Amino acid sequence: MRFFTATVLGLLAPSLCAATSLTTPSRLDLPSGFKPPQVFKNTNLVRNTNLEKSYVRETINVVVENVDKQPQSDYYIPFSAEVFDRVGGFEVRDKKAPEKGRFDVDYTEAVSSDGNQYFVVHLPEPLAPKSQITLGISYSVLSSLSPLPATIQQADKQYLTYSFSAYMSSAYPTDTQKTKLKFPSTNVPDYTTTDGLKSGSDPERKGATYTYGPYDTAKVAPGTDHPITVRYEFTKPVITVNLLERDLEVSHWGGNLATEERYWLRNNGSQLTKQFSRVDWTYTNYQKAPTSAVRELTYPLLPGSVDPYFIDDIGNVSTSRYRPSVGKSAGNLELKPRYPIFGGWNYSFRIGWNNDLASFLRRAAGVDSDSYVLKVPLIEGPKMAEGIQYERVIVRVVLPEGAHNVRFEILEGTNSNGLPGAEHIHAQLSSLKTYMDTLGRTTLTLKVDSLTDEARDSKLVVTYDHSMIDALRKPFTIFAGLLTVFVAVWGIGKIDVSIKKR
Amino acid sequence: MAPSSLDVVLKGSSGRNTRGLLRVIILCTIAAAAVSSRLFSVIRFESIIHEFDPWFNFRATKYLVENGFYSFWDWFDDRTWHPLGRVTGGTLYPGLMVTSGVIYHILRLLTIPVDIRNICVLLAPGFSGLTALAMYLLTSEMSDSPSAGLLAAAFMGITPGYISRSVAGSYDNEAIAIFLLVFTFYLWIKAVKNGSIMWGALTALFYGYMVSAWGGYVFITNLIPLHVFVLLCMGRYSTRVYISYTTWYALGTLGSMQIPFVGFLPIRNSDHMSALGVFGLIQLVAFAEFIRGYLPGKQFQKLLTSMVLLTFGLGFGGLVLLSVSGVIAPWSGRFYSLWDTGYAKIHIPIIASVSEHQPTAWPAFFFDLNFLIWLFPAGVFMCFQKLKDEHVFVVIYSVLASYFAGVMVRLMLTLTPIVCVAAALALSCILDNFLVASTPSTETKAKATTEDKSLRSARNPVVGIYSWFSKSVVVASVTLYLLMFVAHCTWVTSNAYSSPSVVLASKLPDGSQFIIDDYREAYYWLRQNTPDNAKIMSWWDYGYQIGGMADRPTLVDNNTWNNTHIATVGKAMSSREEVSYPILRQHDVDYVLVVFGGLLGYSGDDLNKFLWMVRIAEGIWPDEVKERDFFTARGEYRVDEEATPAMKNSLMYKMSYHNYQSLFPPGQAMDRVRGTKLPKESPQLNTLEEAFTSENWIVRLYKVKDLDNLGRDHSNAVAFDKGLKRKRATKRKGPRVLRTE
Repeated sequence: MRFFTATVLGLLAPSLCAATSLTTPSRLDLPSGFKPPQVFKNTNLVRNTNLEKSYVRETINVVVENVDKQPQSDYYIPFSAEVFDRVGGFEVRDKKAPEKGRFDVDYTEAVSSDGNQYFVVHLPEPLAPKSQITLGISYSVLSSLSPLPATIQQADKQYLTYSFSAYMSSAYPTDTQKTKLKFPSTNVPDYTTTDGLKSGSDPERKGATYTYGPYDTAKVAPGTDHPITVRYEFTKPVITVNLLERDLEVSHWGGNLATEERYWLRNNGSQLTKQFSRVDWTYTNYQKAPTSAVRELTYPLLPGSVDPYFIDDIGNVSTSRYRPSVGKSAGNLELKPRYPIFGGWNYSFRIGWNNDLASFLRRAAGVDSDSYVLKVPLIEGPKMAEGIQYERVIVRVVLPEGAHNVRFEILEGTNSNGLPGAEHIHAQLSSLKTYMDTLGRTTLTLKVDSLTDEARDSKLVVTYDHSMIDALRKPFTIFAGLLTVFVAVWGIGKIDVSIKKR
Repeated sequence: MAPSSLDVVLKGSSGRNTRGLLRVIILCTIAAAAVSSRLFSVIRFESIIHEFDPWFNFRATKYLVENGFYSFWDWFDDRTWHPLGRVTGGTLYPGLMVTSGVIYHILRLLTIPVDIRNICVLLAPGFSGLTALAMYLLTSEMSDSPSAGLLAAAFMGITPGYISRSVAGSYDNEAIAIFLLVFTFYLWIKAVKNGSIMWGALTALFYGYMVSAWGGYVFITNLIPLHVFVLLCMGRYSTRVYISYTTWYALGTLGSMQIPFVGFLPIRNSDHMSALGVFGLIQLVAFAEFIRGYLPGKQFQKLLTSMVLLTFGLGFGGLVLLSVSGVIAPWSGRFYSLWDTGYAKIHIPIIASVSEHQPTAWPAFFFDLNFLIWLFPAGVFMCFQKLKDEHVFVVIYSVLASYFAGVMVRLMLTLTPIVCVAAALALSCILDNFLVASTPSTETKAKATTEDKSLRSARNPVVGIYSWFSKSVVVASVTLYLLMFVAHCTWVTSNAYSSPSVVLASKLPDGSQFIIDDYREAYYWLRQNTPDNAKIMSWWDYGYQIGGMADRPTLVDNNTWNNTHIATVGKAMSSREEVSYPILRQHDVDYVLVVFGGLLGYSGDDLNKFLWMVRIAEGIWPDEVKERDFFTARGEYRVDEEATPAMKNSLMYKMSYHNYQSLFPPGQAMDRVRGTKLPKESPQLNTLEEAFTSENWIVRLYKVKDLDNLGRDHSNAVAFDKGLKRKRATKRKGPRVLRTE
C-alpha cells in the first residue's frame, strides 16, 4: 500500500510556530502492576451493543457510586491492549446532562503486567462519597467482527461472529449488569446460551434484539471473563478503509474550496471459496440479490458541490454518476467501482469536487479584521447502510499562503459525534509549496485513528489570520518573475557575440 | 482616407513589421490549431495514455521521474520478460522519456504540480505545434514565396498522416521524432546553403537528439549522405557541402554513439555504411579538387581514374570482408522487409503480425493526405524546375519516402512532411500567380527574359494571368479544396485516430455515449487483488498495458526482442492442456490473460490473432505446433462444432469459451465476432480456473492451478470433483509429464 505523503517543504514562517491548540496526543505511562484504585462501584450497568453495521457500536450506561471516603474524580475503563487501539470515537458524558459536553479522557499505555490499557475519565466535579453519577459511555470497536465461514460461495449468505464477555470488563465491581445485542436481522443461527448465570433462559430474544442478563454480579471479581459468541447473518460488505486522506484546499482568490479524498478500501467480509464467476455475478445483479460484495458506494455531497471526479490509479472510472443537488438537498455521487469488491479484495480510488468558498468561510467579526473562520465537515465519506470503518484518517486543510495564527476546534453537540476528544487528534502545522508559492501554504494536518462513519456529521472549525499583503504576495512574485525574464532576455539580446569584424 | 492609412501599415519598413507580426500571429494560430485538433480524445474520454507502446513509454517515464536519470540509464527491468528480464535502459530510445522528465522537472522547479501523466499525454500535441513551426522554416528555405511556408505549416499541423501518430495520449517516440526530423532537415538545408560549421553542428546536435528519440533516425542517416552523393554526382561539389557534411557526420556520429542502444552501430551496421562511405568519398573529392589546382589536366585525369578505381576496389573489398567476418552486422530483418514485402511473412512472422508493418493500401494515401497527395507531384516537378541544392534534397526525399510509405503503413509518417513541403510549394505558386489583383505589366516580362542568364532549367518561365474569370475560378476552387481538406482532416482525426483503444466507446440507442472499460477493469483488478509479483501470461500485445496498468510482471511484451520466448507463449496457448500446463509451471505463471470479444462483437480479440500465435510457435517447434491442424479439411478457420480437434483442445479456445455457454439458453450460444453458433457444451478446463472476467467478457483472467494435493493429474481431480466415474486410462496419448520442478 502506498501512502501518498504530502511533500512538505520546510520554510515555516516563524509566526506559524506560535500557533496554539496544536496537540500531539500523549498517553499516560502507568507503572507495571498498576491496578486502578478501588474507589468506585458500578451499581447498574446496561450495555447496548449494536451489530447492525459492519463494526461494533457500544453505548454503556453505568451508574457509578463513590465507595471511598474521599471525593474521587478518576474513573478507569479497561480494555485489553489488542482491542484498545481499535476503539474509536471514545466519549463519556453525564447521562443526565449530555448537553454539558464530553468529559476529559486520558489514554494510557498498556500495563505490562496484565496487558490492560485504560481510558481515564476525569469527572468535571469530583464525586462526593456515597453519591452517584450516571455515565454514558459510547465508542465503536473496529475489526472485531470476523466472518464465519471465512470463505463462502459467491452467492451464499455471509455470517459474522462477534465474541464478547457476558460480564462487562470493568475496573470496579458491578452489582447488576446486562447486555443488549441488536442484530441486523432475525437470522441468528448460533449464539451462546449461558447456564446458571441467571434464572430463566439466557439470552432473551425479542425480534432482532437479544438480551444477556441481567446478572447479579456483585460477588464477581472485576475482570472475570465469561465468553459469549454470536453468529448472525450479514450479507453485506464489511467495508474497511485502511486509510483515508482528505484534502481541503482553501483559495481566497478563486473563492473556491476544493476537496479531494483518497481511499484505500478493502472488504473484510468472507472471501470467495472459488474464484470469481462472472456468470453468477450477472445473475446476482439481475435478481438484485443481496451480496457480500460492494456494488456501489453512494456519497452525498453538500449542496452546491460541482465538478466531481472519480478516478483511480489508472484513470477515470467511467461507471460513476453524479446527481447534482436541487435546491437545498444534497447531491449524490454514485460511485461504482470498476469491479464488485468481494471479501478480501481491495480497491483504492480518489474523488474530489469543488464548492463555493463563501458558504464555508467568513471573516471574523470586526471592521478591518484579518481573521477568518472556516467551517467544514471533518470527514464526509460514503453513506452506506452497512456502515464504514476507517482505520486511519488524515485530514489536511490547506490554507492560503501566508495564513498564520491557525487554531482549530471540533464542534460538539449533545450527542456523540463519533470522534475522540479534540486533544486526542494529532494536529500539525506544516507548509506546502505548490502553484508558484514562495513561502508555501500553511497546512493543518489532523490525524485520527479508528473512526467510523458516525463521524460524518462532525464539523471542523479553523480560525486563521490572513492579511492583504499575504494575498498580494503571489501576483507580485509572478510580476517580478516575468519582469526578470524580460529584462534578462533584453540584456542577453544586447550582447554582441559575433566574431565578424566590426 | 482608409486606403492611405492602410498603406502606412502595409508599405515600407512598417509594412515589413506588419507582415512579420502577421506571420507570427498566423504561425501561432497554426500551432494552436495543430494542438487543439489533437485533443479530441481528451475531451471525449479523458487524459489517458493510448494503445500499447505508449504505456511502456509512460511506465519508463515514471521510472525516470521517480528514480532519477542514472538509475534509468542502468535500468534492468525484472518485471518484464519473466524470467529473462530486460536491460531496459540499454534497449530503448531515451529521448522521449528524458524530454518529458525535463519538462516535468522544470514545472516542478516553478512549483507547478503537474501530474507526469498529463505531461506525457500532452507531449505529442505540444510537439506537433513545434513541428508546424519547423515546417514553416524548412519550406521557407525552399521557396521565395512568403505563403509557401505558412501553407506547409498549416498542412503539417492538421494532416491526418501526422495526426495519426500524435494525438493527445499517443505518447510514442514519433511524438517528438517528427519534429526533430523536420527540424534536422531544416538545419541541414541551412548548413548546405551557408556552408557554415555552426549550422552543421546544430544539425548534428538535433540529429543526436533524434537518434536518442526514434529508431527512424536511420532515415536521416541515409538521406543526408544520399543528398550529398547526388550533389557530387551532379558535379555540384562545393566547400559548402564539404563543410556541412563533414561537420554533421563527425559530430552527429559521435553524438549518436552516446545512446547505449545505438552504441557502435554507426560504424558496424550496414544501415549506417552509406554515411561512412559518402564521408570517405567527399574527402576524396575534396582532395581531388585540391590536386586539380596544382596539376595539369592530363596527369590529373590519370591520377583521378586510378584513384577512383583503387579506392572503390579497396572500399568494396573491405566492406565485403568485414561483413563476412562479422565485424559489420548484416542488414536487419526489418530492413529486408522494406525491400521485399513478402520477406517478413516467410522469415519473421513476428514482424509481419504487426498491423502497422503491412503494405499500405492505396486509399490510405488519400485518407491520410487528402488533396496534398495530388499536389505532391506538382510540387516535386517545380523543384525540378529550380533544382538548387535544397530542391535536390526535396526530390530525393520524395522518391525515397514515397517508396517506403508504399511498403509499410507506419512509414506514411515519414512521407507526410515532404508531401506538405511539395504541396505547399505547388499551391503557393498557384496562389501567388492567381491571387494578384493587378494585371502583369509587359515591362517586367521583358526584364525577366533578358536578365536571366543561369541554367535554362533553373530559369523561370514568365507567366501572368490577365483574366479575372480564370483568376476567380482558380482561387475559388483552391479555397474549396482547402476547406474540404480541413473538413476531411477534422473528420478523420475525430473518427479514425482519436480512440484510446484502452477504452472503447459505443452509442446507446438514445444517442448517449456508453463506455466499455473492460481492459482497465481487469487490469485494475489484477493490480489490487493479486500479489505484487504474480506473473501474468498473455499474448505479447498486452504486455505493455499489463506492465503499465496492472503493474505486474509479464512473460512477453510489445518489445519483441526474444522470438523464442514469444513462441513459447504461442505454444502454450495453442497446445493441449497437458502440454501447456508444464510450460506454465516452468515459467512461474500465476495468471493467464486472454481477450475475448465474442459476447460484444469486439473483433480485435485473441482468437482472431490466434493464427499468428500458431505460426510463431510453429516457427520454433514445427513438429509440435502445425498451422494446418487448426484449419478444417476444407481449409476453414472455424470455432463451432466443426472446429478441428487441435482447435478445440487448444488452451486459447478453452479459455475463450470457458463457461460462456451458460450465459445463453441451451444450444443458443453465439460468438458475435465470428458469427457462429457454438457447441452445446462449453469446453472443460482442468489445469486453470477462471479468476476474473470483465463486465463484457472482453478480458478473461485464469489462475493456474497448483499441483493437486493428492498427486492426481488435474483432469482426474476435476472429474472426481464433478462426481464422474473414473475413466480407465485405456489410451495413453501424448506426453504425460505433469510434475515439473
